[in-house]
Order: sequence, then structure tokens, then C-alpha cells
Amino acid sequence: MKNEKHVQPAPGVELLSGSLTDAAIQQATGNSPDFAILPWVNVVKIGGQSIMDRGRSAVYPLVQEIVDNLSRHKMILGTGAGTRARHIYSLAIDLGLPTGVLTVLGTAVAWQNAQMLHYLLAQYGIPFIEPEGFSTLPHYLMERGAVVCQGMPPYKLWEPNPPVGRIPPQRTDTGCFLIAEVFGARKMIYVKDEDGLYTADPKKNPSSEYIPRISVEELLARDLEDLIVERAVLEFMARARNIREIQFVNGLKPGQLTAALNGETVGTIIYRNGDAQ
Amino acid sequence: MSFDHSSSQHVTSSLMRESLVDKNVIARTEASVSAILPDVNVIQIGGHSIMDRGRSALLPLLDEIVANQAEHRMIIGVGAGVRSRHIFSVGLDLGLPTGALAALSAKDSAQNAYMVSCLLAKHGFVYLEAPFVVQLLPAMLAAARGAVFNGIPPYSLWEHPPLVGKLPPHGSDAGSYLVGEVFGARSVILLKDVDGLYTADPKIDPAAEFIPEARAQELIDRKLRTLPIEPVVLDLLTRAKLAHSVQVINGLKPGNLTRALKGDSVGTLIKQ
Repeated sequence: MKNEKHVQPAPGVELLSGSLTDAAIQQATGNSPDFAILPWVNVVKIGGQSIMDRGRSAVYPLVQEIVDNLSRHKMILGTGAGTRARHIYSLAIDLGLPTGVLTVLGTAVAWQNAQMLHYLLAQYGIPFIEPEGFSTLPHYLMERGAVVCQGMPPYKLWEPNPPVGRIPPQRTDTGCFLIAEVFGARKMIYVKDEDGLYTADPKKNPSSEYIPRISVEELLARDLEDLIVERAVLEFMARARNIREIQFVNGLKPGQLTAALNGETVGTIIYRNGDAQ
Repeated sequence: MSFDHSSSQHVTSSLMRESLVDKNVIARTEASVSAILPDVNVIQIGGHSIMDRGRSALLPLLDEIVANQAEHRMIIGVGAGVRSRHIFSVGLDLGLPTGALAALSAKDSAQNAYMVSCLLAKHGFVYLEAPFVVQLLPAMLAAARGAVFNGIPPYSLWEHPPLVGKLPPHGSDAGSYLVGEVFGARSVILLKDVDGLYTADPKIDPAAEFIPEARAQELIDRKLRTLPIEPVVLDLLTRAKLAHSVQVINGLKPGNLTRALKGDSVGTLIKQ
């Protein structure tokens, strides 16, 4: 075997010798190219409280729609937590437990929902994959078209505290977004029980206005009291390298998920300024 | 009893039917937190600063840890170092995303942590992977003399996109701090190869001034060009509920760790 000379790829030399916290070195790492690991995959997040907690009436038609799309679109299906997470968060807060413990507890609820979705899709050969098993995911996507995972990022006790209060700031919206970002996914679609984003919670405030399309910068600047998505998603999106827009559809309306997978403008799209038209 | 299948099925709780994104709802969840392991000290051994130096730096430090074992319970986090820098440069050249770099880098700190656990094994220390930290740390500490864990948090593919560039923002300083915060540890001590924080890098700039004590927000505002710790630790400190300070000390100087464990002022104390 030929003894090859070691040549350090750029920005190698600085990385090996300099301080990783040096601003100039960090800047330089941003100039490296971005390789999309799974450019054809769609990450679809199924809401916990908004979809799963409604049971059969909401979940069965959505499962059928997912099955109908299996031959056309490859999907990573992540699940939200929902009402049981709200119960255990309030109980754990009352018991004086820290945010990291709440994350461990909330992850179990998203896991339960993922298991239930997996049972309904099992007959189509669709597996449930734990974070530790994500390296097998490309195989299942190629062979079966979809996988189910729980939406929480695997931070467990290492979840950072929120600026205010005790609820884990990075939950299932964020976990699914980060899956889409790291794989360079084709689409990030959130399936909830609203047509999209409103200026206030439409369930509580009938005068709230619908927002079909908005930039993440403008949405952050509006500093709304309530949002359709976790704030961490917006913060990460503003500095993401792969995901340029995220879409919110109403999973209670048949055909909306399919339309979004087909690239149609349905529901609300949050995009990054300067990227999308 | 009948089931209402027409809408969401709820379990009664103070957060029932609430949006967890609503600022008012979030503000209502502010309440006191109890420490889970209040007598434990989290000691972080730097990868580049200590581990990569090998025997001459590490063995005296481990002797000092063992010497303090009778008086102080310790769990040891370990950082990655130069192998991570190498795989970062290869990974960046290949175009890999931040989450992939984080997954790769965590193996370097796992190797270092495993070596430390081997060296401390005869003194009753065990090595715990993240799932065991979650499930077994209190039991292990009751049975074993101490524990060693991977300093890098288990964020893996789910690592946050950084504000600048592509390097994973949460390294072993952040991971060890978060372990201290979630368990409500007595102290979080980061062992490095410098005496603490300076106004500039003392290895390059001889005019750099030492900072014995500072608030995290103050350091964020000063926008220091380099820090001996990960900048994200400062952000985490501003939101501390239990671990309200971090002590950055020189692990190459014998006696520093012992003094820090006693609560003496040594190195730089970064407060919330």
C-alpha cells in the first residue's frame, strides 16, 4: 500500500491547533459545503394533543392518507406528546423536579404515541426506530417508504432550562425539525388540528387572523404570545443550513398532508427570508 | 361511563388543553426546584487541555481526585480533544452537518472517559453511558465510590445548529454543566490548562488580564474573542435553577482541585 502523505483538509490546521471557541475559526467552518444525507426524505410530525389524543376519528383517516402516499413519498413520521405530557409536567413541577427530568418523562409520552402509530402502520412493514437505531433508517425508507419515531430529541437529563418556567423548551416540534435539518430533508411538514398559523390561538380568540405565509424573521419579530410551533424551531430555523421552509397543515382535513407532500401551498408556510420567494 | 370521541381526550391537569407555547402558560410553570443529588461534585476533565497531554497531566490529577474521595463525592465528566478536531476537519470537508459532527465527536470523549474509568477502576469508579446516568446514577453512587461519564451530552444528530459556522455548540463543558444542573450538584468544576478566564488568550497576548470572578451575562456582553470554556455554558448559566456557578481551574497545578472542592477561591468563578 502506498504511504500517502497526510494533507489536512481546510479548515484543518486551525481546527487542530487553535481554540474551538475562536470566532474566526467558527466562521471558517461555516464556509465548508453542505452535503444532504437524505435529500428525498420528508419529515412529517403528527401532533400529540392535536391528532393522537383525538383517537380513531382523527388518526385512522390520517394513517390511510400516509399509506396512500407510501409509494410516492418517503416519510419519517415523528409523534408529539399531548395531554399525558401536560399531566406529568404539571405533576413533576409540583414535585419540584427539574427540566431535565421533565424531558425524560415527556419523552415517554411521545414514545407511547409513536408506538401506537407504529401498531397501526405495522402491517405495511413500517418500523419504529429509537434514536440509537437511526443508522438503519435509510434501509427502511428505501424498502418500505416510511419509519415511525418519537419526536422528542434524545436530550433526556441534558435538556437545557428554558428562559422562563420549567417546561422543556425543545420538544417534539424541535426534535422533528432537527431530524429534517441534519438529513437535509426535502420537506418538514407539521400535521396539527388548525389550518395553520394565526395571530392568536383560534380556539380561544375568534378574532384572530390567519397567516398563510410569513418569514421566520418577521414571526420572531412579532413576538406573539402564542404560536403554532415551539419557539426553538423558529430560532434554529433562522440559522439552519438545510431547511429553508416548514409547512403546517390541518390533519383533520383529508388531502392536506398529500397536498403538502406534493409541494402544493396549503396551510401555513414559514420560510427563511432571502431564501424562498 | 361514556367516551367522548368527538374531540381531544384530556387528562385533567393544570396544563390541560393549554398551549405549551403560550408565554402566559409558560410563566405559570415557574416554581422552586429540588436538588436530586445535592452532595455530588461534577468534575470535568478537559479533552484538549488535559487528556491529550497524557500521563504527565492526567495521573497527578487522578491521584488528587482519589485523595479527595473520602471527603467529597465526585462524578467525572471527560472531554474529547484533538481527535474530535481531526474528525471535525474531515467531516466539514465532506460536507457533513452539525448533528453528524456531534454524533462523531461524542465517540472521542467516550474513549477518553473510558480510559479515565479504567485508571480509576481500582478505586471503585464506574463508567456510565448516558442511559445509565439517567437510570442508575444514584444507585451507582450508593454502591460505587464514584462515576465517570461522557462529558459530551447525548444530543447526537439532534445537536442544535450553531449561531456561527457548523461546529456542535454543546461539548463536554456544556454536558458536564447540565449534569450538575439537573442533579442540583454541590459544585461544577471545569479542569483546564489555564488558570481561568482572561481578557484575551494568555498564550498569545502577554497583556491579557486575569478575571477571578464574573457573572455569566457580563462575560456574554464583553464578547471575549476566545474563552477556555464553551460559550454556551454562559447561556446555560443565565438560566440556572440549581447550579448557579461554574469554577474554571488549572488542572495542571497540583492542589487546585482540592482547594476548589473545599470552596476556596481558585481559578475563575463564573456566577449566574
